[in-house]
Amino acid sequence: MNQSSEDPRLTAYALGELEADERAAFEARLAEDAELRAELEAVRRTAELLESELARSPELALSTAQRQTIEQAAPAPKKSRKLRWRWALAAALPLLLAVGGLTMRSAPRDVQGERGEQDEVPPVLYDLRRADEPSQALAGKAKGEKKESQGRFDTESYDKYSDNPFIRVAVDPRSTFSIDVDTASYSMVRRFLLQDGALPPKGAVRIEELLNYFSYEYPATRRDEVFTVSTEVDAAPWAKGHRLVRIGIKAKEVPAADRPASNLVFLIDTSGSMNEQNKLPLLKRAFKLLTEQLDRRDHVSIVTYAGSSGLVLPPTSADRKGEILAALDQLDAGGSTNGGQGIELAYATAAEHLVRGGTNRVILATDGDFNVGVTSQSALVDLIENKAKSGVFLSVLGFGMGNYKDSTLEKLADKGNGNYAYIDDFAEAKKVFGEQVSGTLVTVAKDVKIQIELNPKQVEAFRLIGYENRVMAHQDFNDDKKDAGDIGAGHTVTALYELVPAGGKVPGASVDDLKYQELGPLKPAAGSSELLTVKLRYKMPDGQTSQLLELPVRDERESPGSASPDFRFAAAVASFGMLLRDSPFKGDASYEQTLELAESGVGEGRDVAARRELITLVKKAESLGGK
Amino acid sequence: MKDVEDRAFVRSALAAHERPLLRFAASLVGRAHAADVVQDTFLALCKADRDEVRGHLAAWLFTVCRNRALDLKRTRGRLSELREEEEMESPDSGPASRVERQQALGRVERALSGLSPEQRQAVILKFSGGLKYKEIAEVMELSVTNVGFILHSALKALRTQLSDAGQELEIVRSAP
Repeated sequence: MNQSSEDPRLTAYALGELEADERAAFEARLAEDAELRAELEAVRRTAELLESELARSPELALSTAQRQTIEQAAPAPKKSRKLRWRWALAAALPLLLAVGGLTMRSAPRDVQGERGEQDEVPPVLYDLRRADEPSQALAGKAKGEKKESQGRFDTESYDKYSDNPFIRVAVDPRSTFSIDVDTASYSMVRRFLLQDGALPPKGAVRIEELLNYFSYEYPATRRDEVFTVSTEVDAAPWAKGHRLVRIGIKAKEVPAADRPASNLVFLIDTSGSMNEQNKLPLLKRAFKLLTEQLDRRDHVSIVTYAGSSGLVLPPTSADRKGEILAALDQLDAGGSTNGGQGIELAYATAAEHLVRGGTNRVILATDGDFNVGVTSQSALVDLIENKAKSGVFLSVLGFGMGNYKDSTLEKLADKGNGNYAYIDDFAEAKKVFGEQVSGTLVTVAKDVKIQIELNPKQVEAFRLIGYENRVMAHQDFNDDKKDAGDIGAGHTVTALYELVPAGGKVPGASVDDLKYQELGPLKPAAGSSELLTVKLRYKMPDGQTSQLLELPVRDERESPGSASPDFRFAAAVASFGMLLRDSPFKGDASYEQTLELAESGVGEGRDVAARRELITLVKKAESLGGK
Repeated sequence: MKDVEDRAFVRSALAAHERPLLRFAASLVGRAHAADVVQDTFLALCKADRDEVRGHLAAWLFTVCRNRALDLKRTRGRLSELREEEEMESPDSGPASRVERQQALGRVERALSGLSPEQRQAVILKFSGGLKYKEIAEVMELSVTNVGFILHSALKALRTQLSDAGQELEIVRSAP
């Protein structure tokens, strides 16, 4: 051993404990000193050996009695105990059903025959909150369109898998929803069309996720701005006389170099069901790709869950990429899934190494096959909901699963302040972890809500396209305690409203005129040419109070058909979604018209390849005989 | 909601720290008393103010664990220190690698027992508990620099002790 091996900085460096300046100085020495490098290697090997040998724990465990004593001491005795029980039971019920549903579906499926069958599935599978009213939910689903106008004002009982209906401005001049940056539905639709050669089941088509899969050329933020909000109005291609309003939000870009330090926990499902080519092997490639984007600012931990959950890799600085990649390589599928324990461990690991002002995120990768007991399932929902408040965010990556599990995962991401992507192939992994890694990792704002108020002088009725399961009660807009969607760096979010101009006929309207009251007098602003006002609320990622942006929108298109390519493309995506969903509001939409719109909207931006792919999908759907 | 949150919090703390804490406690008071100390530690966590614990849960747990262990030592007189060689078995290992693994494990454990109590504690806090230097310093009531020295010397000692076992260990570690 030479002189340098006496220096405790050697060990500190190997363990990632040196401050930036010391580290740089030490690295300079390392570069010149081969012997020192060999020493460093030896220290690392010893450290690794200790870590792995100590993790291979002998029979050290608390007794069951001791564990019970602790768990009983945990909650302070509360009078609400009984209530909570009922709540837990209520939450458990649909999960039980859901698990039953999953099991049934695991038989080899007849894809062509699935579509009709899909619609018969009780919607209770989709929504935990509806546990207390399954019969109503069933009735609502059977003929959703008839019920929806009554359900409009109550987000809890609203059947979110029916299209949003037209609302008369005279009845309710506001529309409130939470943004959604999920993209999973698009990849899933693609998988159905291209890999399975079948039309996707309606429930899998969420139009807002199709829209938000693409990025649009919205104005960039200037210094200190978190967002830009822009709007465009033109004719709705599928309904004569109707107008289409596009609201575009763009979050500020965060260049890779300015990305804050991150503390990532990969929570990886290694249960037996993951043992398929498009699951664990694809997952490993995806996470390796992510790891390659990281650097010494970042720490990665790996937690697996199968028969037993475990910390496979303790928090490791990403300048030791080799170790992270090796740990990923060694993952094997086997055993049954115990999602609960794994999630607890992952959040505990993330919380412990919380980086203030940085990115703290659990990235859950699974096929969604949570075959665990009911108790753990409700605990899991408890846990996810509560952890969302602690500043640890959640990303959910779905691999190789069908539609039913998809709804469970979407819900987890939703409750966990997270985003949800479906990885059907390596190209998709590249999109999520490669090109858009900042957006996936860095949240620039949370609880982003949009409310629009329409001018009754200009607009007869309106309809929000998509976002069915993101509709919020109006009073929740200003309530900072109400959770909403989060937005990552550089992400764009697009929402479309279809408007019936004042005096126009409202399709599907089923609300009678009021018997007892007239509309009140209008305020002077109604006399302006404004169509509507967009209001947007958001919080900074670590903030508690929201900020408000406001933007009035006028309909000032002079010549019809002069809409931007982005507008035409978004309209094409919405039209495609409505066709796939066989929406009652699709009007004159056709595949032919959708293709025309899409082709004229491809543009020349960086999104061209993805937009071309949509064209392929539209053609495929048409050839499969979609209506 | 508060108590649901608390329960989940304690449960996740248990899942993440039970074993490292037991190991740490065993190094202080011996295996026979380790579980009692760790149970006490988690009971203290149940009563603790969340805000006080948040953000440095691991360091907090190990600090409490150490204090409890030292209390126990004081009240019960001298307790046996870590003597794990004869108990070191890994019951869940597969039959093929079992003998080799047992040997490897035995060596690591034996090597650990050759360290000073301070070195051993620091090593367990670092490599089983996953604590940072700063946190180890907090738990052991030492300066960060001091922790740096202790771990550096401990690793060097372990390396020397393990070096003749190196060949064998490589084989065991590359086994699936």
